[in-house]
Amino acid sequence: MLRVKNISLSFADTTVLDDVSIEFNAGSVIGLIGPNGAGKSTLLRVLAQLQKPDAGMVEIDGVNAATIASNSFAKKVTYLPQTGVCHWPLTVERLVALGRYPHQDSQQLGDVDMQAIEQAIKETDIEHLVGRTVNTLSGGERARVMLARALATESDILLADEPIVALDPRHQIDVMVLLNALARKGKAVIVVLHELHLAMRYCDSLVLLDNGRKVAEGLPKAVLSVENLQMVYGVDAVYGTNQGENWVLPWSRT
Amino acid sequence: MNSLSHLSDAKKERRIVFILLSALLVLFIVSLKSGDINLNIINSLNDIFKGNYSVESLVLYEIRLPRTLLALIIGASLGISGAALQGMLRNPLAEPGVIGVSASAALGAVIVFYFGLSSAFPLALPLGGIAGALLAVILLYTLTGKNSSILTLILAGVAISSLAGALTALALNLAPNPYASLEIFFWLMGSLSDRSFIHVWLILPTTLIGWWLMLSARRGLDALSLGEDTAQSLGVNLAVLNKKIIIGVALSVGAAVSVSGGIGFIGLIVPHLLRPFVGFKPGSLLVISGLAGAVLLLAADITVRLLPTQTELKIGVLTALIGAPFFLHLILKARREWAS
Repeated sequence: MLRVKNISLSFADTTVLDDVSIEFNAGSVIGLIGPNGAGKSTLLRVLAQLQKPDAGMVEIDGVNAATIASNSFAKKVTYLPQTGVCHWPLTVERLVALGRYPHQDSQQLGDVDMQAIEQAIKETDIEHLVGRTVNTLSGGERARVMLARALATESDILLADEPIVALDPRHQIDVMVLLNALARKGKAVIVVLHELHLAMRYCDSLVLLDNGRKVAEGLPKAVLSVENLQMVYGVDAVYGTNQGENWVLPWSRT
Repeated sequence: MNSLSHLSDAKKERRIVFILLSALLVLFIVSLKSGDINLNIINSLNDIFKGNYSVESLVLYEIRLPRTLLALIIGASLGISGAALQGMLRNPLAEPGVIGVSASAALGAVIVFYFGLSSAFPLALPLGGIAGALLAVILLYTLTGKNSSILTLILAGVAISSLAGALTALALNLAPNPYASLEIFFWLMGSLSDRSFIHVWLILPTTLIGWWLMLSARRGLDALSLGEDTAQSLGVNLAVLNKKIIIGVALSVGAAVSVSGGIGFIGLIVPHLLRPFVGFKPGSLLVISGLAGAVLLLAADITVRLLPTQTELKIGVLTALIGAPFFLHLILKARREWAS
């Protein structure tokens, strides 16, 4: 459903993305992993049409994304940036309601909008934060509110840039389970991650980037191989299984 | 989930609109009654409709009604512009002066004074002001280029303001006679006295277009609360949004300054006072800021008429006297917030 074809992008003399082609399927969580500066966030911005590539294109259902009107695009694709800013002390529910922006014609919220907002608040476990203003929240609480905003749009494709980086282990697991559930409902969830153990456990497939190039792609177990982790991250990892599932733990520098 | 019920703030917003409209109505009547001659409004209106031009009806129609309407229109322009700019720049300290439009409009009017065109052709003054404002916008876009950041925009605005200020000082310095410089000087202080219906008709079209442009950007401003990337990914066209607001401010504030001279601080203070009433949503702030701007300027204009000073206090002086301390209060408050 979503495809990037031969994307290349440079800032000044630095090549950020180098001829990257990936196909993202509906109904799966796809993790974008790689060391700092690998080009993960930039790729996500290119997917979200926030950054124009020097070459190549993004396709949604066979249509060049650059030709889709911004409002229609916003209904299909939701982008969740890494640092969720909110410039005014809005209440949690008002912030989540902004996720309905692409569906609204006026400032008024209809019944469908209200249902989507309620659902998003419930799914992200922030019901108890309703009524609070965002500037009074902790980093983790704020991250979940931002995620709720993204879910409220009810788009087919979710692009999330490190959505769990500020969360405690319980909420990290909650969010990954939630993203997984969204994929089971037919969405394509594309998520930038640094937590390799969660990438291994909750992603359906992984794309490993290094220096702007795609170096591996496929099932988590295959992508997170000893060789790949040594080559790209320069770390040795330990592996095991628990309850029939694989786990990985980066252990030491190579 | 009952707690979400207040998401539809229509009721709360209607209440504040009602309160402001009531205040406006009361001030409108008070304004028509305030002045040296105590007139009966109903009788005067009757006279006007009957074509019986009594002194009272002339005072009402030629002096007080245009003055009241101008206070209302200009106050509303300053209020809406302030709210729109604060939303666009995501900064509570922004005001119409920040993009250089006010200073340039003033310069346009000053040039008209300088060459003595205003006595030969009364409309030259407002036209000069609007021309100055539009020139500022063209200069702003030339300076900032196509894809400019907010910071470049503000810096360009400051540069244009300083340039316009310098040229205004130059005009004062080189004015052909002391009377001309005095005229310019007093005009710059801002006033609504001795204006007529011609001024109202003259600024109305550009003002209305300006309001419409800014109001059409309301929803985008709400989305912009979450930053440029998120707003854009929600479907907001940022380039269009910025253009609407900058041109909207230029048209309405340019027209306002060209008729009234410099009236500061209304655009800064009004959005501030009202923000809590709309749950800090920047888009919802525009209409009520317009109403409150009209209320505040009308109240200020009534005050300068009633104050027992020897020469009438200029309205721009009054708003600055009240506004500057308020601005200081805001800075101190912001400093506390940043410190914590």
